[in-house]
Amino acid sequence: MTWTQAAFGRITLGLTALGLVILLALGVGLVWLVQETRSYASAVVATQQIRVTAGEVLSSLQDAETGQRGFLLTDDPSYLAPYIAARAQLPQELDRLAAQVTADGGQLPPQIELRGTIEAKLAELQQSLELAEAGDREAALAVVRGGRGQILMDQVRNQIAGVEQRTAIRQQQRSANLEGAGQLLMYGAILGLLLIALVSFGTLRAARSYTRDLEAAQAALQRANSSLEQRVATRTGSLMAANEEIQRFAYIVSHDLRAPLVNVMGFTQELETAIVAVRGLMERAEAEAPALVTQDVREAVREDIPEAIGFIRSSTNRMDRLIGAILALSREGRRRLVAEPVPLQPLLEGLSNSLQHQLDAAGAELRLQPPFPTLQTDRLALEQILGNLLDNAVKYLDPARPGRIMVRARRESGLHALDVVDNGRGIAERDHARVFELFRRSGPQDKPGEGIGLAHVRALARRMGGDIRLASRLGEGSVFTLLLPDALPAPDTDMANAPQLEDQPA
Amino acid sequence: MNVSAQAVTIVMIEDDDGHARLIEKNLKRAGVYNDVLHLNSGTAAVNHLFGPQRQGGAPVLVLLDLNLPDMSGIDILARLKADAELRLAPVIVLTTTDDDREIRRCYELGCSVYITKPVNYETFAQAVRQLGLFLAVIQVPPTAP
Repeated sequence: MTWTQAAFGRITLGLTALGLVILLALGVGLVWLVQETRSYASAVVATQQIRVTAGEVLSSLQDAETGQRGFLLTDDPSYLAPYIAARAQLPQELDRLAAQVTADGGQLPPQIELRGTIEAKLAELQQSLELAEAGDREAALAVVRGGRGQILMDQVRNQIAGVEQRTAIRQQQRSANLEGAGQLLMYGAILGLLLIALVSFGTLRAARSYTRDLEAAQAALQRANSSLEQRVATRTGSLMAANEEIQRFAYIVSHDLRAPLVNVMGFTQELETAIVAVRGLMERAEAEAPALVTQDVREAVREDIPEAIGFIRSSTNRMDRLIGAILALSREGRRRLVAEPVPLQPLLEGLSNSLQHQLDAAGAELRLQPPFPTLQTDRLALEQILGNLLDNAVKYLDPARPGRIMVRARRESGLHALDVVDNGRGIAERDHARVFELFRRSGPQDKPGEGIGLAHVRALARRMGGDIRLASRLGEGSVFTLLLPDALPAPDTDMANAPQLEDQPA
Repeated sequence: MNVSAQAVTIVMIEDDDGHARLIEKNLKRAGVYNDVLHLNSGTAAVNHLFGPQRQGGAPVLVLLDLNLPDMSGIDILARLKADAELRLAPVIVLTTTDDDREIRRCYELGCSVYITKPVNYETFAQAVRQLGLFLAVIQVPPTAP
């Protein structure tokens, strides 16, 4: 399973929220149970009180009966004291009992009934006492003997027992309720804990799965990175190898081309020497036996052979120069560039001084427009590039107007841009790319050159981590812009290894 | 002309027959009339210099081209300098290669002179003639053990 970060967040949040809700419910249930237990405890107290009060009521009634009996037996009014006290207390006690029972959730009617029975009993007592006080002891005793008081007393006892019993039942009910609630809460708690455990497990699993996914993604990224690095390294390596191969190729080819060229030139020379002898012979023949020398022979010795030799020579000389150029370029490509701080101002001044003679001859002016930066680069390469550009600028000025050459430095997209600006004859648009190619030139071929300079300049500029650009209009002038980084690109590839020529066929 | 130089045989190891011929001609023009023995491959050179039929005693000067089709001239140079008899013979490397490392290696191995064949024939001829003048005056020890 793959987790997106958002999905993971939602799921973890949901599970955590669920866990919190369950915890909250458990807490509420617990608070409720505590409350219930508390009310149960107070209910227990209330039950006790009801019992006590009921006992008091019965005891008061018995006191009243005892007082009555005592008085009836002794006719001594002092025995009436409990009766009088009980009569005074009983209404209060009954009120208290009623209040307690209703407060405990009991029914009011039995209370009223109890009160009624007690009042009847008291009335019976009252009646017998009143008869006794009136002196009719027999009638009073008859009331007692009549057994109604006994029956009422039993009824009161029963009713009080009923009150107590009902209270006990209520108490039992409450106890059972509490127990049920406790059990319910316990089951709830167990369920809640299980759910929390489940939720925690789920969250943990989600987190672990998410972490695993993250780790896997990270590992995949790392693999991709390292394989990318490897690919880049491989490509760079093969590019470097290819570059080296080309350098070697150019070097070997140009070297091996030289050997037959020496022969061509050498034997041409021999031929030239030989023709002198032949010409001497022909001249002697012309003088001594003119008939022997035909027009054909004369033309061959005097014109055709020297002309052929001349063409062979000029061609081999040209080929020699081209080979030399390739050799120079390939050698330059194999030279290791060494970075050093190169302040441009003095370098340009030096170049300007060495060009002064040509500038004077052309009636031209070279202006350096400071400020110039200091570059961390290969001095010789930079000197060659700028020397070449300035050389070209002077070489291809327009004779129709005074030559103006200007050099300035600026920054362009993080690189140093050096502009060599001239008002020379310019380069046609279609030749802008060609001029940087080897052996290609532009415009009238009225100046010496092999078409190597700019190819060399571009190769060097690129090796130095930069490039060269041309903006020009035919007949108006040119701007060559050399772009260079602040410093040479890190380790120059090892082009300094000379080709192992002894392994090559000569 | 130096008397002892007269007896010196110039062993020219050069695969390019044209070059060999031009060198020979120009040496003659410079007045060097020593015997020139042209060997046009590394194998021929090794057979002649180190083979069973080699004749000891006669002083030898070796003109060596490095770019041979069958072996490197540098190997021949190394063998010459390691040879008890031939190690005193002057070796003149005359080759198209002008690589700095190659030049240094040849001198390290003990070559006497390293000359780059000039591509321009005029210069080439001139160089060979000057070499001829040089050969005419130098002393070469006999190769006897």
